[in-house]
Amino acid sequence: MSAPPRLSTIFLAAITTLVAVLLYSPLFVPIVSSFFTISHGSVDWSSPTLSTYVALAENHDILVALRTTLIVGVCTVILSVVSGTLLALYYHGRRSGRSLLQFIIFLPFLMPPIISGLALLIFFREIGLERSLLTVVIGHTVFVLAIVYRTVLMRLQSMSRTLVEASYDLGATGWQTFWRITLPNLSSAMVGGAILAFALSFDETMITILVTGTQSTLPVRLWAMMRLGFSPDINALVALILMFTVLLCALAARFLIPRQVATERS
Amino acid sequence: MSEAGSTQPAERRLSLLVTVLAFALPVVFVLVPLAIFLGYSFFSVDQGTIVYDLSLGNYVRFFTDPVFLPVFWNTIVLCVSVAIICILLAYPAAYFLTTLKGRWRYALLMLLLVPLLMSYVIKIYAIRSILGLNGFLNKALVALGILQEPSTLFVFNMNAILLTLTLLLIPFAILPIFLSLERIPQVLLRASDDLGASGSQTFLRITLPLSLPGVASAASFVFVLAIGDFLTPQMVGGISGFTFGRILYSQFGTAYNWPFGAALSVALAVVVIAAILVGERFGRNRGTSV
Repeated sequence: MSAPPRLSTIFLAAITTLVAVLLYSPLFVPIVSSFFTISHGSVDWSSPTLSTYVALAENHDILVALRTTLIVGVCTVILSVVSGTLLALYYHGRRSGRSLLQFIIFLPFLMPPIISGLALLIFFREIGLERSLLTVVIGHTVFVLAIVYRTVLMRLQSMSRTLVEASYDLGATGWQTFWRITLPNLSSAMVGGAILAFALSFDETMITILVTGTQSTLPVRLWAMMRLGFSPDINALVALILMFTVLLCALAARFLIPRQVATERS
Repeated sequence: MSEAGSTQPAERRLSLLVTVLAFALPVVFVLVPLAIFLGYSFFSVDQGTIVYDLSLGNYVRFFTDPVFLPVFWNTIVLCVSVAIICILLAYPAAYFLTTLKGRWRYALLMLLLVPLLMSYVIKIYAIRSILGLNGFLNKALVALGILQEPSTLFVFNMNAILLTLTLLLIPFAILPIFLSLERIPQVLLRASDDLGASGSQTFLRITLPLSLPGVASAASFVFVLAIGDFLTPQMVGGISGFTFGRILYSQFGTAYNWPFGAALSVALAVVVIAAILVGERFGRNRGTSV
């Protein structure tokens, strides 16, 4: 590719910098305020402090909401990975009816969450299921299922058919082939899908607000607190959550990307 | 699994179970709720209880009441504007990424996508504090001499919703545009160069047309995410920033009219499906046939 003229490169770099600044400013504010005092829009750089983190450790409401979020996340991951993998195994290699059902699986992910959330809200009411953490878990699972399904299905499609055929040729039963060949090959895709599902569930707000009962997850708790304004310890929480999610996604990338690149090359 | 001879009874029972689950899960938890929801839009509410008689009353109200159609239209215009601003910012950034080499390209792409991982609610809150009267934006504008004194122009109105949604959704525009730019075969650019085209000619005649599918996908993503959001307008919109999502949400809270809310959701779903279809139609990569 020929080098673009200098002026246009400078322009492009400037816009890219602007975009980065715009994207990071909302992250920067709470993280800086978690270590420094901010009053009237200016930062007091002279006295860094960890007091916000200490206060966070004593904020009972937030810790309970955090625990609830983790419980919901783990349940969502288990349900979505099991059912997403089953669905992927079932639809892989099947043509009839697949595109329609696949479309249905993707619907909650494509539709605005307010529609999925309200549809589930009315559904739970009609079948007489009280709003609780169970309804939240169902809502989250329906929402993230498409991601897990797609991740596993893509791995299945990139898996070489010869491995399974070799297993049958060597006299293994369908069951043995599944446990010894198919499942181990899918495991990293399943772990990657699980991490993505957890990350989505961890931050899901709009569906949760609609289908939750008395217990609230962290984003819903924060949403309720936001009307009154946040106490400084929330900034500490934000800094920790950001670190945690970045780590989580780096982990997901590790499970999802290297193997695919490796199979493409071989 | 296709070897009929080696199939054992337990396996057959399992595969039957899987078949039933494969059909039942999507149908029970997605299709049935949506169908009930659609059904609700034909019911009505009388003194706090839902009347299960079919009527088109909710839809008539939506089209005839002077409140709803203008808000609906304004919200569509707002979300189209968000999509356009996002693309104007994301396209140059995505293009810049593709001019970088190897490792840097993906490192910078990751850098621009990381903000997506941050809690949505917290980002809205942080943006509101930046836009507010004592926020950094006003401080900066006053310091630069653009404003005489801090202004309330950027918070609790439609501008605030526009700015906040744009900041939240830019990454969703960067990714599809980057992917479509990256897919353009380098030979085409070299050929254009060899034939004597200038850099801007190559960009306008080769790069831009071939990247339009990515732009269409980006526009459709951003629009759909923006129009479905009710948290942002609720938080930064104040009294004057009234969007369709907020009206819809209020039908399930303070207004307590679920059937009417369901009808409003159907209107929203129609627009969303149209946007997805347009995005799909123009976003399909035609480059594979080259």
